[in-house]
Amino acid sequence: MAQLRQDYDRFVERGAVVIVVGPEDAQAFRRYWQAKGLPFIGLPDPTHSVLKLYGQEVKLFKLGRMPAQVIIDRQGMARFVHYGHAMDDIPSNAELFSILEGLS
Amino acid sequence: MGTQRAGSKVQLNQPAPDFALPDLNGQMVRLSDFRGRQHVVLVFNRGFT
Repeated sequence: MAQLRQDYDRFVERGAVVIVVGPEDAQAFRRYWQAKGLPFIGLPDPTHSVLKLYGQEVKLFKLGRMPAQVIIDRQGMARFVHYGHAMDDIPSNAELFSILEGLS
Repeated sequence: MGTQRAGSKVQLNQPAPDFALPDLNGQMVRLSDFRGRQHVVLVFNRGFT
């Protein structure tokens, strides 16, 4: 999350909004957002509705929460999909920027 | 909420399943709100540690 925050302006410059989804409740989200001063949209998903829709549930419960990133273009198409296989399996911001720069 | 089954994964270059959830301040956010306006970087968080 620190990695995303650090370069947040560079996502905005590339026409993107950053949305963070997690299984915690709204109170936990608010506390964390406030403590860290996060600029992203935070979506508490305590019923795992979006997590299930995007296919994160199995690993979430069996192996702990795996990171995942999806870039969706202005037309609503998924243009980058990364499901992490380890806790530190996260694409670099540079990789995300390069995808965003290739979108119309 | 789309036609994908629970546990299915999002396919590259296919429409991303739409969703609607209240944000941390209770304001409803839909993926489709950003259609035609902004790209979305959707991040599934690993937990607040």
